Amino acid sequence: MCGWWEGRNKMNQVQKNLRVMLLAFEVEMRQNLTDGFVIFGILIQPLLVALMALWMLKGKGPDYAIFVVVGSGMTGLWTTLLFNGGNSITGERWTGTLEPLVASPASLRMIIFGKVLANVAQSLGSMIGSYLLISTILGYPLTLARPALFAVSLLVTVFALVCFGLILASFFILIPDFARMVNTLEFPIYILCGFLFPIALLPGWTTPISYLLSPYWAAQALHGAAQGTLTTGQILADWGWMLAFSLSYILISGKLYQVILRKARVDATLDIVGN
Amino acid sequence: MDAIIVKNLRRVYKSSDGIIKRKVKEVVAVEDVSFEIHQGELFGLLGPNGAGKTTTVKMLTTLLIPSGGSATILDLDVVKDAGKVRPRIGFIFGGERGLYWRLSALDNLRYFASLYYVDTQVARKRIPELIELVGLQGREREKVEGYSRGMRQRLHIARALLHDPQVLFLDEPTMGLDPVGARELRTTVKNLQSANKTILLTTHYMFEADALCQRIAVINKGRIVALDTPERLKENVQDLSVVEVEVYGMPPDQIEKIKTLEWVVEVSLENRDQVQVLQVHTPKGAEAIPMLVENLNGLRLGRIITREPTLEDAYVRLVGGAK
Amino acid sequence: MMERISRNTRIFFEGAFYSYKALFRWLNPATYLASKVLAPLTIMIFFVFIGAYASGSNNASFYVIGNSLIFAASSGIFGVTMSVGGERWTGTLPYLFGCPANRGAMFIGRAFMHILDGMLGVFIGLGWGILLFKLDLSQANPLALLLTILVTTFSTSGLGLLMGCLSLITRNVMLVNNTVYFALLIFSGANIPVEELPAWMQVIANGLPLTRGVACARTIIAGGSLTEIMPLLKEELLIGIILTILGYFLFKVFEIQAKKLGTLDIF
Repeated sequence: MCGWWEGRNKMNQVQKNLRVMLLAFEVEMRQNLTDGFVIFGILIQPLLVALMALWMLKGKGPDYAIFVVVGSGMTGLWTTLLFNGGNSITGERWTGTLEPLVASPASLRMIIFGKVLANVAQSLGSMIGSYLLISTILGYPLTLARPALFAVSLLVTVFALVCFGLILASFFILIPDFARMVNTLEFPIYILCGFLFPIALLPGWTTPISYLLSPYWAAQALHGAAQGTLTTGQILADWGWMLAFSLSYILISGKLYQVILRKARVDATLDIVGN
Repeated sequence: MDAIIVKNLRRVYKSSDGIIKRKVKEVVAVEDVSFEIHQGELFGLLGPNGAGKTTTVKMLTTLLIPSGGSATILDLDVVKDAGKVRPRIGFIFGGERGLYWRLSALDNLRYFASLYYVDTQVARKRIPELIELVGLQGREREKVEGYSRGMRQRLHIARALLHDPQVLFLDEPTMGLDPVGARELRTTVKNLQSANKTILLTTHYMFEADALCQRIAVINKGRIVALDTPERLKENVQDLSVVEVEVYGMPPDQIEKIKTLEWVVEVSLENRDQVQVLQVHTPKGAEAIPMLVENLNGLRLGRIITREPTLEDAYVRLVGGAK
Repeated sequence: MMERISRNTRIFFEGAFYSYKALFRWLNPATYLASKVLAPLTIMIFFVFIGAYASGSNNASFYVIGNSLIFAASSGIFGVTMSVGGERWTGTLPYLFGCPANRGAMFIGRAFMHILDGMLGVFIGLGWGILLFKLDLSQANPLALLLTILVTTFSTSGLGLLMGCLSLITRNVMLVNNTVYFALLIFSGANIPVEELPAWMQVIANGLPLTRGVACARTIIAGGSLTEIMPLLKEELLIGIILTILGYFLFKVFEIQAKKLGTLDIF
């Protein structure tokens, strides 16, 4: 009988945590959507990257349009994750809301997961927007070779990126001045993960590094499904890699968040204003 | 049973300066603080700005880890059992920050209700009740960025009560409120206490502590300098009377001179509009007036009265003239 | 009169230095290394490789030169807008607008430091080009190159001042910056030859700063002379002056707007 009762409580706990995540997602969405410039930026930058890549890769023929749209969409996802998602915790500190969040019983990880998910989802919107814009205005053929596999790859990618976002957000807090150095992480990922050109062009010693990056597997799966250049098995393997990484990120983040929260309470850095 | 037990709490802040050679500076915000608060009590923590009130409250609300000492709330350690403490306490630090400005009051409350694991059914009923309690009805759908200071303060209070906590920490809750709003808030606080909630209230308004609190701890420079009921604190200064002299432009060295007079126990200077009021605590009462006037030679004086000491005077004595 | 000049000069230099120091803490060597030396390199590598993927040949120099000059733009745009936008973040904007110091001296003082910084960025970019991509500067006239870099940095900082005004009315400075930055990447000829753009885009390209600067730099490094590039360089300078003046006036307009709407300290 005790077991049944504990089981029931546990389910309620899961539901409650899910509700925390969903509401964090909603709050973040609303905060962003009420600011016109955010939409402008989220829609426009990947579009510009797409246009540029389209022109530069014109020689490769119109079939490359889908490669460009997917690749530039990925650059948008990564940049959003880095700058917006990464700032999840530090942003709350600026508005003075980090203290109330930490003092609540809810897990900070769930809250941040919801926030990062909102940011990545919005960025996904821009990838879709670019797709529609480029296909309608420029009239390029943008057919997806394996649409179902592409859609699932997209979901797995979002999940993987959000899990990494958890770690990233904690780095912003743990490492002083990290926000200033984060610029250096933007383009290397574009390069090493083969978003807009195959990593075969890079020197061989960088390949192992690429394999260690979850967005590399995401790009593989997405490009492979969009252009039909990979077998189902290969794409499933890519998902496998992404999920493995995601799982390890989730596990690491548990201990990481314990550490950063303890440190913040010792150093009095939960708030930027004097205590 | 004691709801809150604080033992030798201490908190040191380290700050570093300098670019090449980092110098570490240590500031002791809370030196040594101990007190116990009984269940259902309305307890006041009274002290000037910078005395360590907020820091103490932040340690008790699990936002800061003490540098020394310990504290328990409802028998749970605030550091080791922080997770268990959090659902049982509510707090407000007030001010402009700590709320989501681009959201409405309603959305803020919905969000925090979920963070405090309040059942959706319960929240749906309780949120409108709280909005009415703090007087925000009719404006709860407007974005917080359009709210006045007072409205935000009231929203903070509503948020603190969402999960019906047993223990409440109110850090300077009436600061920034207009007199009417402040009075309404004090009534609300009194009502909460009668609901058997334990409340720790910090303030630097003496009359507020006197009016609301059953016991008051006076804190100055990180230490408790007195802990008693308001009546007994006043009694402690009954041996003295206070002579108030209106002066126009008193130089600081003259104040120091007065302090050294043997029949003067404490001196403070209060600014009221155009005039300053010198308050001298002395056992001599009205007899001291001629001697005082002699020592104020050369200054233009106004009204002089002798009166009984108030809690404010007790406070002044305890914190040594600082206001 | 002399007193006013010396006072304004002092405001100019002090304002520039302290605002730079306060907002960027460049004096932290690790940050400086990351942002000024490494980050631009990563951008350059990215475009060189896309170029390689596209044309399959060793056209690295084309992309290296273009992207090095973009670093000037980065300093000009991000630097100046962060300088203004950063004031908003730290809440000091109202105080700044409340003070009587000459707006012009203050404003341009900030831009000055960023111009110096921008030039440094270009040198670093070219340095990487030589180191990693076999950029050959032996044909280049050093004076001509220096002048080109100076003028281009000046004109992009003019754009930065203009962007800075936008940052007075929005919280999301970074987004606007990034967008303009990417627009420059497309239209300036740094990565796509201007001639290959459709006609209407060429019009935009020629209206922007940086476009002529990039063209001049390529000409010089290929062995061109100062007299060859003079006309283009003069046009680049003119654009910079126009943008700076425009930026200054817009700054004043927005200041009044912001004061009217009370948005100076909105977070």
